[in-house]
Amino acid sequence: MSVTIGTAHERYDAAIIGAGVMGATTALFLAQAGMKVALIERGALFRAASGINAGTLTLHMTRAQLIPHAIRGREMWLDAARWLGEPVGAVSTHGLSLAFTEAEEALLRARARVRSEAGAPIEIISAGKAVGIEPGLNPGLRAAASCALDGHIPSYRVGAAYARALEREGVTLLEHGEVAQIATGNGGDHAIHLRDRAHPVHAARVVASGGAWLEKMLDWMGFAIPIRCLFNQLVVTEPMSEVMGSVISIANGLLSLKQFTNGSVLIGGGWQGEGTLEAGGTRVIPENLRGNVRLAQHVIPALRNAMVLRVWLGQEAETPDAMPLIGSLGPDDTRFVIGSVHSGFTSGPYMARLLADRILGGDPDLRAFDPCRFALPPATKTSSLPPTLS
Amino acid sequence: MTASEHRPDITVAGAGVSGTTCAVALSRHGFAVTLIDDQPDAGGQVFRAPSPYAREKIRADQERKKGDRIRKHLAASGVDHRRATRIWGLTGRFELDLLGPDGMAQLRAERLVIANGAVERFLPAPGWTTPRVIGLAGASILLRGGGTLPGRSIVLAGSGPLLFSVAHQVLALGGKVAAIVSSAGLGEWIELGTKLYRDAGRLLEATRWMAQITAARIPIHYHARISDIQNLEDGVLVTICPKDRRKSSSTVKASILAYGDGLKPTTLLSRAAGARHEYDPSGDYFKPVTDTAGRTDVTNLYVTGDAAGIEGAEASRLRGLLTAHAIALDTGRITKAGFDSLAAPALRRLQKLAAISVTMRRLMRSGHDCALAIPESTILCRCERVMASAARQAVAAGARDVNQVKAWTRCGMGPCQGRSCEDGLRQILIETGGISPQDTGIFTVRAPFFPLPLSAISGEFDYDDIPLPKAAPL
Repeated sequence: MSVTIGTAHERYDAAIIGAGVMGATTALFLAQAGMKVALIERGALFRAASGINAGTLTLHMTRAQLIPHAIRGREMWLDAARWLGEPVGAVSTHGLSLAFTEAEEALLRARARVRSEAGAPIEIISAGKAVGIEPGLNPGLRAAASCALDGHIPSYRVGAAYARALEREGVTLLEHGEVAQIATGNGGDHAIHLRDRAHPVHAARVVASGGAWLEKMLDWMGFAIPIRCLFNQLVVTEPMSEVMGSVISIANGLLSLKQFTNGSVLIGGGWQGEGTLEAGGTRVIPENLRGNVRLAQHVIPALRNAMVLRVWLGQEAETPDAMPLIGSLGPDDTRFVIGSVHSGFTSGPYMARLLADRILGGDPDLRAFDPCRFALPPATKTSSLPPTLS
Repeated sequence: MTASEHRPDITVAGAGVSGTTCAVALSRHGFAVTLIDDQPDAGGQVFRAPSPYAREKIRADQERKKGDRIRKHLAASGVDHRRATRIWGLTGRFELDLLGPDGMAQLRAERLVIANGAVERFLPAPGWTTPRVIGLAGASILLRGGGTLPGRSIVLAGSGPLLFSVAHQVLALGGKVAAIVSSAGLGEWIELGTKLYRDAGRLLEATRWMAQITAARIPIHYHARISDIQNLEDGVLVTICPKDRRKSSSTVKASILAYGDGLKPTTLLSRAAGARHEYDPSGDYFKPVTDTAGRTDVTNLYVTGDAAGIEGAEASRLRGLLTAHAIALDTGRITKAGFDSLAAPALRRLQKLAAISVTMRRLMRSGHDCALAIPESTILCRCERVMASAARQAVAAGARDVNQVKAWTRCGMGPCQGRSCEDGLRQILIETGGISPQDTGIFTVRAPFFPLPLSAISGEFDYDDIPLPKAAPL
């Protein structure tokens, strides 16, 4: 949707830059609370990482510290009709993480323990029991971690539900609006200048929610936080008869496997491709495609009969400590950030609700995500440390 | 997937008339050339090599003779012709993923010429996905390549010269054409006839076809379209609707319906290679932006022949030649003066043929207005069974380009990569969303370009062979 801004002096309570799951959900909750919101997007709604990710609702691959958030995010997706206005095709399934070697089993047990202490209902089960749950599994496995809370969601379809919800809540969506600069004036007035548009968007608050673009966005606001951009490989097959019912991963987290309701199997797990921020994924690395597909076929041998339909690369943004950036960017409380959330699609709606709550004056616990934690120990200080301490 | 092979000087993708001509000319300029094509023999669609059965069954026509000549030149050249080899992946750095008779291979091209020709355009009509409905180009492959009639009687419908070419091929095999339904009016065909004097060979050929069709007393419905297709137990019932609403519809029964709405460039490879594409109103399609010799905005990437815009076989041959000379110039093998003298005859001939191409493209897009009101319950995307109504709803919800509609409805997400539904979808975006053709965009291309057996990628392996990356953070 491309909306022409009527007057030069239209002013919003909040301008949100980046219309993926983080930004669009923040916009939605702020608008529901009565704010006048503009949602600005460089491309089109939900078409970058949020629209092309693996749509997993798993806890097996979630960082332990984020498990409570992922559980709440998962619940929100399953319950989208209530807060988004319509269901988005989320399906609740069982989740299995597998070990095929002794070392993997040790890793599986260690990780399951940490995740279960963080609140994920994960238990270790025998190979026989795992095959009972998922008959198509390679019987050569040693053990499995089983979680009752898992599932999947066709992420590409979600944007349509957001488009309708945003319109209903009166959010002004500006697609193909590339931000050139943000000028902050007196009284917390932010003038957001867009390329190819004569008038800037004025807003009392700015939220940076640009996913992989956050490093650049934070730089506009004077924050230098290096954000690494990953290019996660995804492989989808043609629809095939049922070969699996659970979401399956392996101990080290490098496989995610699920079969959607239309019969197509999605193979992911964070194997890397090449890409750039500007162009997105540019090259699938043949060795990684082969490795990822072999792993999938090893786990579910029936996949040897599958036809590969598409391979693509989805972006993921990661901070130096691999923890999210969510919160206020300064004491004036007019600039905020949300993003770099590991397994961000799963927990996205909940994370955005927390930020919206914070912007609206609430006090959710966002301490672990404070963007100011990176706020720069001056370089001189680090280098002056005595050698024994470094 | 074996390790990348040594790169040849130039790789040409597509062994139709433009690609083969280009490859042979490049080889004469002294380049090491690799020519890749998914067919066992060169010739492409127009100069398709007939099967031994077809060679015996059908009398050699002009196209067969020209094809045989091209194949002879290719065989005598030093071109490395990779037969029956499909390109399933291509990156902006010209890394080609191949699947051939010997399995998977990768090839990195230094310079790449894309010459993968044209593909048939389909505008959805009610019932177009029922059995016994095939494409005109598909029918032509069966007839010319296989020497086989697609059915006892056949209705030919749609736009463009293929209508009459296929009619001729059916008659040559002793088949029956039940009707020809042309979206263009008689006047538009006569106009093409008046332009054909610029190409004596084609004029002769067209005259012969028309005489044959007239002698066979085939009913021709000009300025008409198909408004319904019913699948019967033993054939199809086709409803023919004159565009002039004062005339009444009629029906015709046949064993099979072949239809198509003209040709458009095959842009899968040029999109994957990262070339800029734009909407061309003269052909009503997207095409890569190229200069006369096929240079694109990507360094060392050329697109030639019908892949760069529909002009027909003879123009494609000339384009292939020009591209070869341009590469010789770009690499310093010949001087500008040398290029000018080599290119002059081809450019002159192309200029002469331009009037025919323009008229032909107009005929090919004459079905455009038929698509203006695709009924709600008509299937738009046959791979994913997406109806026109779903696409219209997505546009109403705010989708402004083909890729957003694809994401929200799965239209174009299937194995054909949107080749069949793209034109109908573009029509819906234009008509429902008021979007300009250029802004409707073009589908994002993804590898593999055709469904690939997973086992071809995985091959034989042990679990220990899988190079597992280090564990994800906990």
